Amino acid sequence: MTTETAPGLSGWPPPVLDPAGPFAGPIQVVAWVLFVMAAVVLAIVLLALGVALFGPRKWKRRVGGERLVWIGGLAFPVVVLSGLLIYGLATGARVAAEPKPGEMRVRVTGEMWWWRVAYLDADGREVVQDANEVHIPTGQTVVFELESADVIHSFWVPRLGGKVDMIPGRRNFLRLQADAPGTYGGQCAEYCGGPHALMGLVVVAHDPRAYAAWRARQAQAATAVVSAQAPLALIDQGRAVFAASGCGACHTIRGTEANGLAGPDLTHVGSRQTLGAGILPNNQGTMAGWISDSQGIKPGNRMPSYPVLTGQDLRAVAAYLESLK
Amino acid sequence: MRRSLPGLFAFALVGLAGCVDKADLPRPVAQGDPARGLDVIRQVGCAACHAIPGVAWPEGRSAGALAGFGARPLIAGRLPNQPDVLVRWLIDAPSLDAGTAMPPMPLTQAQARDVAAYLYELDDD
Amino acid sequence: MSSETGFDPELYKRFPTQEKRPEGELKQLEDVWCGPRRPWEWITAINNNFIGVYYVGAAMLFFVLAGVLALLMRTQLALPLNGFLPQETYNQIFTMHGTVMMFLFAVPAVEALGVLLLPQMLGARDLPFPRLSAYAFWAYLVGGLAFFCSLFFGLAPNGGWFMYPPLTSMTYSPGINADFWLLGIGFIEISAIAGAIEIIVGVLKTRAPGMSLDKLPIFAWAMLIFACMIIIAFPSVILSTLLLELERALDWPFFDAARGGDPVLWQHLFWFFGHPEVYIIFLPAAGAMSTIIPVVARTRLVGHRMVVMAMLATGFISFGVWAHHMFTIGMPRLSINYFSAASMAVSVPAGVQVFAWIATLAAGRMRFNTPGLFAVGGLVIFVMGGLTGVMVAMVPFDWQAHDSYFIVAHLHYVLIGGMVFPLFAAIYYWLPMSSARPLSERWGRWIFWLMFAGHNITFLPMHLTGLMGMPRRVYTYLPGRGWDLLNVISTVGAFMFGLAVLLWIVDMMRNFRLFGAREAGNIYDGPGLEWLPNGLYSLRSIPVIKSLYPVWDQPDLARDVAAGRYFLPGAPRGERETIVTSPLNAEPQYLQRMPRPSSWHVWGAIFTAGFFLILTVQAYAASVISGLLAIYCIVKWCWNMDRPMAQASVDIGGGVRVPTYRSGPSSHGWWAMVITLIVGGMVCLLAGFAYVFLWSRRPDLWIAPPDMSGLIQGVGLLAVAGLCAWGGPAALKLDRPRSGVIAAVLLFVGAAALVAASATDFTTWMGAGLDPQASGQGATVFALMSWQALFVGIGAIMGVFAVARWLFGLASAAQPATFELIGLFLAFTAGQGAFVLLLTRLFPGAEMRSWLMMTGGLLVWAAHFLGVYLISSLGDVAATADAPAWRGAALVFSGACLVAEGAVLWLLARRARVTDDEGLAPFTIGVGLTGALAGLIGVVWQTAPILMAG
Repeated sequence: MTTETAPGLSGWPPPVLDPAGPFAGPIQVVAWVLFVMAAVVLAIVLLALGVALFGPRKWKRRVGGERLVWIGGLAFPVVVLSGLLIYGLATGARVAAEPKPGEMRVRVTGEMWWWRVAYLDADGREVVQDANEVHIPTGQTVVFELESADVIHSFWVPRLGGKVDMIPGRRNFLRLQADAPGTYGGQCAEYCGGPHALMGLVVVAHDPRAYAAWRARQAQAATAVVSAQAPLALIDQGRAVFAASGCGACHTIRGTEANGLAGPDLTHVGSRQTLGAGILPNNQGTMAGWISDSQGIKPGNRMPSYPVLTGQDLRAVAAYLESLK
Repeated sequence: MRRSLPGLFAFALVGLAGCVDKADLPRPVAQGDPARGLDVIRQVGCAACHAIPGVAWPEGRSAGALAGFGARPLIAGRLPNQPDVLVRWLIDAPSLDAGTAMPPMPLTQAQARDVAAYLYELDDD
Repeated sequence: MSSETGFDPELYKRFPTQEKRPEGELKQLEDVWCGPRRPWEWITAINNNFIGVYYVGAAMLFFVLAGVLALLMRTQLALPLNGFLPQETYNQIFTMHGTVMMFLFAVPAVEALGVLLLPQMLGARDLPFPRLSAYAFWAYLVGGLAFFCSLFFGLAPNGGWFMYPPLTSMTYSPGINADFWLLGIGFIEISAIAGAIEIIVGVLKTRAPGMSLDKLPIFAWAMLIFACMIIIAFPSVILSTLLLELERALDWPFFDAARGGDPVLWQHLFWFFGHPEVYIIFLPAAGAMSTIIPVVARTRLVGHRMVVMAMLATGFISFGVWAHHMFTIGMPRLSINYFSAASMAVSVPAGVQVFAWIATLAAGRMRFNTPGLFAVGGLVIFVMGGLTGVMVAMVPFDWQAHDSYFIVAHLHYVLIGGMVFPLFAAIYYWLPMSSARPLSERWGRWIFWLMFAGHNITFLPMHLTGLMGMPRRVYTYLPGRGWDLLNVISTVGAFMFGLAVLLWIVDMMRNFRLFGAREAGNIYDGPGLEWLPNGLYSLRSIPVIKSLYPVWDQPDLARDVAAGRYFLPGAPRGERETIVTSPLNAEPQYLQRMPRPSSWHVWGAIFTAGFFLILTVQAYAASVISGLLAIYCIVKWCWNMDRPMAQASVDIGGGVRVPTYRSGPSSHGWWAMVITLIVGGMVCLLAGFAYVFLWSRRPDLWIAPPDMSGLIQGVGLLAVAGLCAWGGPAALKLDRPRSGVIAAVLLFVGAAALVAASATDFTTWMGAGLDPQASGQGATVFALMSWQALFVGIGAIMGVFAVARWLFGLASAAQPATFELIGLFLAFTAGQGAFVLLLTRLFPGAEMRSWLMMTGGLLVWAAHFLGVYLISSLGDVAATADAPAWRGAALVFSGACLVAEGAVLWLLARRARVTDDEGLAPFTIGVGLTGALAGLIGVVWQTAPILMAG
């Protein structure tokens, strides 16, 4: 059984052991070293225990003295742990080095229960706003500036690296890099109340050229793309319904009057892979369902359900939003 | 959207008629694979609006529940529930009923067949 | 053997005595210690045999309840996007599962084991504060049940068991759910600390004569370290719950980043408690393992000393590892490295214990009975948990594993292997001590294997689920992530575990027969004193201990003890009493009279719980009434204490005579008071940490403190209070005609001076425009002052209590203990007040010189008091020691301190004149100087008794 609802965060091999970049790779090595260490130590303990319980008398006499405690309980762990500690600290320093000037920056702000994303220019100004999806170029280290607007969240994209908390009043940094184009799933890892379980995100890596194109398109104001599924009349109707229903109080669509800041920016919502913060596929149907019944789909989230829209209005809004590519 | 009153009335009639029509069921869908259909349903998120047996979440309340769909004589209360109509409806509902809330869905003809096959397997319960 | 107290060890040779015991002696002992005769006496009972069993029973009840919650959660998670539990219910249930397991099961369970077993193991009639134990139990039971019931009304907390703000602050948790957690945990803290005091004093002061520390049973060592850790760690959770509740109720922004608070402050405070908590739970269980494994292997514990050292090391290191729960918050690298190293280091002592157990099993021959199976099974599970613990101590790995199901697996391996399995081993092993029938061995084997398999089937897959990216604390998950199968397996395992517990409950109902005429007894052939023939009075006579395994090493012990041939073979005065011994060598010091059943502590407990719970629903008037009733009940309970016996000394057997009354550092009351004050001091110290921490976050929001005059007034008043606190008991001990009234008045005046100092502190800060809602400074300064005010309030009640005792003719040199303890409390409060004053007014911003002078002066002053007090106390304890030498030391020390104090005072007076442009009001200087002078006089006064002793 597969769905598109959790792109990049699915199935086998476990994402933690399937690194896709230089900030996850060394951790995978650490993990394997630790597994081997744990297996060996467990084997030794079980062996000693086995001898103690069932071994021949001669063996038991060797094990049954204070010498075992000195060697097995004290000397052995001290040696093993010292080695591990040095290795761990060195790896930690390598994986979590301070951000360097000139590295691309993305600010991700955790909100209940979605992610506000802003791309920063060299001076740290926000140039592009987006939500629940981070696009990065491959082969390039990206610095994530992690903040929170309300409670503590934690930003975790296991295939790209470890997690870092988003704490109100603080700004944390996380450096990630994807080596190959693709979609990498992530999820909020710190319990943040209510539908914490349904707070996902995706990181989409493009090769640098495609990324530049994506970013250029993203920086532009909203343009509705007319198609067979979204004829012009329907889009116009949808735009009118969107305005009349007051959606703009919470959502921004750049280039229109909608300039609300409470909810995700919808300027290019039609181009996203998911809806509802990484939980639904994104098409007119799910968009209509989400607008009409977001509380049923993601109980407790901050967007009210809009069951009052008529069928056609609902479809029009969905068509309009999906046309914003 | 909420079902209109005539819709409800029709729905009730359908319910009655359903009892009679059961003998005709199931309607076969040429080259439709119900198992693949369920996968497609999950991939495109039909359940965002419809409660569909076999899909645990979300249980959309925006549109009609689809339990027992196979026994209904009408689609959306006004179109004959025939395989080819259903397939077309799934791909582009507004073309059959301009007033419907159901938007066109990004399905290929084959995918729509699979979905239809799955929907016709849904019994009343 | 050198003597600790002047007791002659030769006297031990008189035992076992050979004379025939008088007729009816045993009958009288049984009558004095008789159990409940009327139904309500089951509730008013204060014998550890009852309270201990109730306590263990209640803890197991909460274990089962929280376990049921776990099964509900596992049912919900069995399928992706399952609809069994709604989101909100699930969030409440996982919060309650963690909270109930940690606070209502784990800590009380091991504490209960201590209360039940320690008196028997130590050969005491009972622990020194049985009524306090009973109070702790009833507060815990009433409060715990009410807290649990919040779940049925949908009012249970839903912020997770570590309750991170700001999710739990008023903005994001506006309901009273979070208040239930905070106040519910409040009285559980009280009962845990009461239990810890009981255990520390009990282990140190009520051991059987001759049971020096090297003969102390390993379980008692574990309980001692456990209780000391509670004393250090619990203040942190007391403080954090207080701060969060203050933020919620009064909007003081401790954790609100916008106003200079910091959510990370909570994490530091919570984990400073929360990590030691794990070892707090583990150590007693490890102590039980170290007791049971030698028994099932029929040999002595290999490396006994190393195990004791390892437990001590665990206790120390565990306070340096808290931030490993916070590797992902963006700490500086240096801190991360330090905490990573410490977290690894703490696994070494655990390794020592594990290998000591294995070596013991190898040295003997394992019997595969149920306690043995649970012990070995627990060992294996614990080792696996320890290994994953080392893994998550590796910082880079933790960045991935943190807050994922890997952690869920890790913590359950550690806690179930380190605590639950040993607890079941302990239940099987010690149950025959209380029950007429042991539990079924055949069932026991089934239960063990079911539980062992169930545990591994539940939690082993979770390691992988975590690595596959499943975060913890999710009420559901999307399909298609490969988590489905693993979650189904975990659910199956959880139900196997549940079945094992169910079977255990059934077997308990089949076989557990409490308080029968006769117990099943020592069916596993244990070596400890608890296996000697005993009754509700504990042992018929309290033996002289000559080895670590007395029942194994002294074959005649059981016969002689039962025949009353050792200490305290009867109750000739018709009183409940036990022998208090010295902390190191357990030499008999005096006879303690123990309380009889009464209902005041029960009402006190009910009203204490009522106070907290009613506060939760914001019925303030009812809550205050309940609080006042609780105070009344507790005062009433205290009123009957400190009544000396008619005889000043009595024969406790073999012609050994000991006094029947003690005050000062050798008395059990003094120890309890000092431990209580350490708790208070720790809370204050940590609040000071919070103050400095928040300053480091947003110094821009901080205002300048009030001018120096307030500080000098405050210190002056506190000095007066300190003087009175020392003077009161000293006056009483002089034993002159008016000693009583002078002492009572001095204590009352001391309390009044504390009130005045507190009032000055509040008013000057408010005058300076400090708003508790405006900044981290306002919030923490007001919190510090409020904490001080709480102590001042208790001090005021004590001042009135002192006067009341005098009015009723209870203030005499023959019973100085109460006054002495009140004095101790007031002196501590004065010192704490000075700490608060100096910290908040001099840090930050004061010139270095004022800073140094004020703190230097205070330190010299404090050192002076403490030094003289210590020297005089030690001189007092070592009654046989060379008195002139002690006097000389005290004199030299005092002289040096006086010179230093004079210098500081002079500098201070000059400084006060120079700094204040408006000129310090003559009143201020007057009060300051009087206070400081009074302090000096107090010191001289303290020295006087030593000088006069010659």
